[in-house]
Amino acid sequence: MRGRPNLYTEYKAEMGLFPSMSKKIAIGLLALIAILGPLAALPFLGFAGDASWLILVNKALVFAIAALGINLLTGVAGQVSLGHAFFMAVGAYTAVVLGGEAGNTVWGLGLPIWIWLPAAGVAAALIGVFVAPTAVRVRGLYLAFVTLGLVFIGLYLWRNLGKIAGGPGTGRPWPELEFALWRNMDPLVSFTSDGPLWWWLTPVNWLPWVHIEEMDGEVKTFFFLVVLVAVFAIIAKNLMRTRIGRSWAAIRDRDIAAEVMGVADAKGKTQAFGISSFYAGMGGALFASVVGRIIPESWDIFLSVEFVAIILIGGAGTIVGTFLGTFFVVLSPRIVENVTGFLATQAEDGGPFSWLGSIFVRSSADDWIGIVSYPDAAGPGLSVAQLNIVLFGVLIVVFLIAEPLGLYGIWLRARNYWKGWPFTY
Amino acid sequence: MTTTLEQKGSPDLRDAFPSVVWRIRDWAQRTPDRVAMRDKDFGIWQERTSAMLWDEVLTAAHGLLSLGIRPKDVTSIHSEDRPEWVIFDFATIAINAICTGLYPTNPTAETQYLLNDAGSRVHLAEDQEQLDKVLGPGRVAFPTIERIIYVEPRGVRSIEDDRLMFWDDFMELGREHKDQNPGAVERLMLEVEPDDVMTLIYTSGTTGPPKGAMLTHRNVEVAVAHVLNDPGRFAGGKGENPADEKLTYLPLCHVAERLFSSWSFAYNGPVLNFAESIETVQVNLREVQPTIFFAVPRIWERIHAGVIIRLQDATRFKRMISGFGLKLAGYIGAQRVANSGDFTFGSRVAYAIGNPLFFRSLRERIGLRHCRYASSGAAPIAPEVLEFFMGLGIPVYELYGMTENTAVATTNLDGRVKLGTVGEPYAGIGFRIDEGTGEVQTKHDAVFQGYWKKPEATAATFTEDGWLKTGDVGVWVDGTHVKIVDRIKDIIITSGGKNISPSEIENTLKTSPFIKEAMVIGDGRKFLSALIGIEYDVVGDWALRRQISYTTYRDLTEKSEVIELIQGVVTKANGKFAHVEQVGRFKLIPKELDHEDGELTATMKLKRSAMEEMFGELVESMYS
Repeated sequence: MRGRPNLYTEYKAEMGLFPSMSKKIAIGLLALIAILGPLAALPFLGFAGDASWLILVNKALVFAIAALGINLLTGVAGQVSLGHAFFMAVGAYTAVVLGGEAGNTVWGLGLPIWIWLPAAGVAAALIGVFVAPTAVRVRGLYLAFVTLGLVFIGLYLWRNLGKIAGGPGTGRPWPELEFALWRNMDPLVSFTSDGPLWWWLTPVNWLPWVHIEEMDGEVKTFFFLVVLVAVFAIIAKNLMRTRIGRSWAAIRDRDIAAEVMGVADAKGKTQAFGISSFYAGMGGALFASVVGRIIPESWDIFLSVEFVAIILIGGAGTIVGTFLGTFFVVLSPRIVENVTGFLATQAEDGGPFSWLGSIFVRSSADDWIGIVSYPDAAGPGLSVAQLNIVLFGVLIVVFLIAEPLGLYGIWLRARNYWKGWPFTY
Repeated sequence: MTTTLEQKGSPDLRDAFPSVVWRIRDWAQRTPDRVAMRDKDFGIWQERTSAMLWDEVLTAAHGLLSLGIRPKDVTSIHSEDRPEWVIFDFATIAINAICTGLYPTNPTAETQYLLNDAGSRVHLAEDQEQLDKVLGPGRVAFPTIERIIYVEPRGVRSIEDDRLMFWDDFMELGREHKDQNPGAVERLMLEVEPDDVMTLIYTSGTTGPPKGAMLTHRNVEVAVAHVLNDPGRFAGGKGENPADEKLTYLPLCHVAERLFSSWSFAYNGPVLNFAESIETVQVNLREVQPTIFFAVPRIWERIHAGVIIRLQDATRFKRMISGFGLKLAGYIGAQRVANSGDFTFGSRVAYAIGNPLFFRSLRERIGLRHCRYASSGAAPIAPEVLEFFMGLGIPVYELYGMTENTAVATTNLDGRVKLGTVGEPYAGIGFRIDEGTGEVQTKHDAVFQGYWKKPEATAATFTEDGWLKTGDVGVWVDGTHVKIVDRIKDIIITSGGKNISPSEIENTLKTSPFIKEAMVIGDGRKFLSALIGIEYDVVGDWALRRQISYTTYRDLTEKSEVIELIQGVVTKANGKFAHVEQVGRFKLIPKELDHEDGELTATMKLKRSAMEEMFGELVESMYS
């Protein structure tokens, strides 16, 4: 009802995808930024088109797909899993066997993307469904251990299945993101190579300050991924707000009570593992493809922990939180690096933050005060990468204690503050 | 849906008297698919179109015919507000029978009295709770009742009683009757005369047992023309129309809610939204955001108190802003009061600052964001409360009327508001204040026919020259506006011989969020005293914050801190009155007042005689 957002005349309106006008506007703005940003067509936000940033953004988008999966499993259905890296690896290796080029030491069928990408998801989902019954038997910490076991089994397998994974320490190249009809045919669209502006983006040039004719490969990859991510996010949102999602939430809150209410516990958990693994498989395949070459040792416990960090920092059980978490986790190393660099320069050249820089950064072997060694990890200080891991650890602890809903929870609080205006409750 | 309207055998109703039911049919013909009512069920506001509504009314009317109800028979309803209430009422009117409503809070004894006094033949009881009041005393206690229809089947199905009938079965009966006798209801609608009794509305009975006021079709027509459609009541001149939204939440058996909801819908077509219950009014208000809103002073006081309390509980920054906002509101309110309710330049500027900052969101939170006309009536209200809402930009107009004159007496008009008065008499009605007694008297076509089966009581309500005696003492203010002093019988004459109106003092006391009830005593005494009932939630909350532990309501009223708190309120209120009108002593009532226990009427008015009897010792202790 117009002007009466709380007057629901049907259930549909209440659980709508974008229930309010402000949400619709926000989504529209986001879409606009997503189109204009990478093309460097936004005033003041030109840096968004910078390739070095775009590579990170693309990585974040790929991670977002996998993170959506773990958020459905852990955030919505309440099944703790440390095995996400394993499922991603399953997807990635399925993709490379189906889509990669055969070599002397590796298998590869050279099939096009429309086969290898879905197949990556399906293969991971099948294994997920196979693993799911254990979740019916064990829960909480024990389930975390069981899924952690998967990661180690996986690591052993990838190291030893050279035909699939390439050699330890070397890995193998992944198929590129390009759309062809069949093997060995010329690709119709490439999402990785530089080329002219896609025709459907030409309206961008109508903006008076914009003139674009060429597109970088990264920009194309970005558009390809952003569409995929949008589709997956909508699917995840729909799962959450319909019957399946409600049954997952019931299982999360109390699986025994859920069963008493008539929610099939085993079925729900199996669905959760299956769908979550599908997301992981797709994410893994895309991740490997975007990076280009991955060594078998990459699919380790740290990758899994990174995803736990994503949902805990972003906000368990929410779509927006997934994105906030992914972008935070993927982009923060770069930001930390930039900040550290800035502080190091300040300490050296003098500036308003030079005092902070001299305390924080350990710039040379003689400088014995400092936490981070910069520019290189010489001496006892932490490297930037190590600092990041420490930072994630600290953040996980802080968020778990102070803000269990993560960044999304902070947003929620800020929103409710204004929503309740001028009251507090 | 429209097929029911063109049923064969349905007579031409063009020349029939346009009763409320005729108008319901008319809406269904003119705008069949327009939403007419919303009713919240499982969290969703289920909608009914005009055509659906008429179809149900017609079916229910056939059902009544099939149960043997004939013109002039009486039916009764004992239910919370819900669409079935209105449908059953309209269905009764359609066959020219008489419908009366009971308050959901009416206890068993009163139910028995009311149903027998009215002589109801078919009774609609909402649920098990209301059914128990009829089934409990047994069949002999209700000699006239032939059928009892229930709407909520929960807990009822196991009861064996051949008078019981489920609403759906009743409607099924109606459908059968409709198929067999098409046009039977319409033919009866043709026979309606303007002076036929349409409904019995029982007065709340602050003294003695309730009396059923007989209101006719003409009464209602005149009342709608004045109270709802008087030109000049609405800012901008746009009267009630189908685009308006209303919240139906006060008991429909009272003349005010019937007038503002069901009759208003019949004549002007606003959408009726049925609140879930009186407890959820504030939540439902927020959802519905009505454009036209009527409330009794108790509700306005509750909203006012709620706002003040919740603002106090807000975070520091919000408190700062709202403190500033309230100051602005106070200024605007005072300016508008001084300027007949209109904005002045200064208040307009203040409003332009305060509105985006504070007022608009506050109005949204209390559910009056879209409210373009609000009114208060049925009991006197403290001017401070009205001023508060005026300051927030909610135009609240006080009006005055009573069941016996179908609420037609006086109203405040847009741009001509005088706070503390009930406004000006409607144009073209007979209105006078008796010079001898000061009693307000009215004479117009909305004055009722008389009390049901009580000719002596009827005769006693009219003067010799045929004017209705309202029982209220009024005075003219500036020659145009009327101020109601009090009920004649409530006026206190102190031992010093001074005439004092207790309600003014009581209302000032009740402006405080801590005070729910107040009764000023002093008839034949040296000074005034008061019995005060505290607002349990608010005072309880206050006590908790000060770490005053308490167990029950009674325990809370005995805490010295609480007595001190109320003393502060009383002292502050006393400052507004002359010395003889000041409350010298007060006592806190040790229990929450209740309709069931006989201290309040169904409309939550104090029964003074009952109070004096019940708390006689308490009163005496103040004078000893």
